[in-house]
Amino acid sequence: MSTVDSTRIGFRDALLKLATEREDVVFVSTDSLKVVKGEPFLEQFPDRVVELGISEQNGVGVCSGLAASGLLPYICTYAGFLTMRACEQMRTFVSYPNLKVRFVGANGGLHGGNREGVSHQFIEDVGILRGMPNFTILCPADGGQVYEAMLASADIDGPVYIRIGSGREDKVFPDGTPFPMGKIRTLVDEGNDVALLAHGFVLGRVLEAAKKLKEEGIKAKVVEVATIKPLDKEGLAEVLNATGCAVTVEDHTIINGLGSAVAEVIAEGAPAHLIRLGLQDVYGESGFPEELLDAYGMRVEDIVSAAKKAMSRKKL
Amino acid sequence: MDIQALQDISLSLRRDVVEMVYRTKDGHPSPSFSVADIITALYFEIMRLDPSNPDWEDRDRFVLSKGHSCPVLYAALAKKGYFPREELFTLRYLNSHLQGHPYAPKTKGLDATTGSLGNGVSIGLGMALAARIRRKDYQVYAITGDGELGEGMIWEAAMAASHHKASNLTVFIDNNNYQSGGTVGEVSGPYPIEDKWQAFGWHVQTIDGHDIAQILKAVENARLVNDKPSAIVCKTVKGNGVSFMVGENSWHKRVYTDEEYKQAIKELGGAV
Repeated sequence: MSTVDSTRIGFRDALLKLATEREDVVFVSTDSLKVVKGEPFLEQFPDRVVELGISEQNGVGVCSGLAASGLLPYICTYAGFLTMRACEQMRTFVSYPNLKVRFVGANGGLHGGNREGVSHQFIEDVGILRGMPNFTILCPADGGQVYEAMLASADIDGPVYIRIGSGREDKVFPDGTPFPMGKIRTLVDEGNDVALLAHGFVLGRVLEAAKKLKEEGIKAKVVEVATIKPLDKEGLAEVLNATGCAVTVEDHTIINGLGSAVAEVIAEGAPAHLIRLGLQDVYGESGFPEELLDAYGMRVEDIVSAAKKAMSRKKL
Repeated sequence: MDIQALQDISLSLRRDVVEMVYRTKDGHPSPSFSVADIITALYFEIMRLDPSNPDWEDRDRFVLSKGHSCPVLYAALAKKGYFPREELFTLRYLNSHLQGHPYAPKTKGLDATTGSLGNGVSIGLGMALAARIRRKDYQVYAITGDGELGEGMIWEAAMAASHHKASNLTVFIDNNNYQSGGTVGEVSGPYPIEDKWQAFGWHVQTIDGHDIAQILKAVENARLVNDKPSAIVCKTVKGNGVSFMVGENSWHKRVYTDEEYKQAIKELGGAV
């Protein structure tokens, strides 16, 4: 495998591999083939591309029919055109009958939407889907992890959502690193002063923050929560019980995403002080991806100071 | 099966619907009646099915896009032997496999989960395209309402189906001229229905949706078309078969009194 240097290529290459290995894989496009650089897929598997034009509700409805008829459809377009425009189709015609449809949402987060602005920049997708029973929701951190998540989730029962970005993500993991399906993954374990919990394209910043904290003598854990549903509640409770305080960092609104999920675990039996970084109940705007994350409170410095603040509350 | 026998079945399905609504005190009777003859023709003559093997991969598929008409579909499935008739009278009760609107995982013989309007043509298209991809020769049939044509997604699917030349997809439009709020002419503006489907590239026929011979003939015609999906506009009557339900739109969703129940069963050729 060559270097998977973007989430969109990660999706595309994994789909090619899956289609080579199994006959049931089909790619459903709502004029979104080029979004994921899917031309090689069309070349190799022309009969397994279902192009529907710009019609996301129809696209998800068609996926429901394809999945009910023995195929494994992958539909990939902008995250919000799936989770918002076709929200009801995802819910009533896929999630409710528990059909095996794979949704791949591009432009997840401010980072994913970068210069496009709010109409193409989705900060609510994970929260919308968390409320739907049967869904598996995955937020891999980089292209290689998207590739691995695609392969790891192919046989999961029911619907799966995989969040991808714009294709401008930094690499966090060496290619070939397995995707930790259904489990949290501890990436740094310096000690129990504070837990930094994150997923997606901000993970590199969180690792950077842990280094800074270490330089200041603060012993942090960095824990990746790439499977947001079903959530590894036991794993999280163990971390939270050990540290007693945590900072969540997500490129998503802090309402209904990772921060909320962690708050639920805390409230239901793993008491800990929590600070949630992410979109503070506001929309984003156009800009370059890294400067957007900076502008909306996800600088390395923001994570460091949130960690200290969370720790200070422990001592109260 | 001859036409008379099919007509008898259609009457018996209507009687079952009356019985279901009367006994369970819920459900949509008159939208069931407008599609009763189409469903009879499909399930008892047209469709390739094996009730002893509901998940048979080569079976024809059916999508009831106007899911609220499900009482008559449930009655047809019971009569085909997918489940015992007595279970019809658990409709809409807790623990019943017969949900208020069709839920495929629970009910044997049901191919699609529906209820929210406007979605059935897309689901049917997915099933039809799956046949092509998997090199199967099954047919897909769907019924939409006429009021339902107000849903934009219907037209997304109409455009995509003709683009894909999905000739194994046939959509019946139950043109009973009523929707929940009144006549479709008053509430929305689907007319002329035929011109719209034609403009979207479909093969279009208009028939009397209560004439089983016409339904069979129209499906036969549709099968001869191999480069287009087919739309069959069915002129129907909401409540067809029971005099006091015709022209009275409250029967869209209404429960029979004892008197109404007896009269309905009698008019439908049954004994009380």
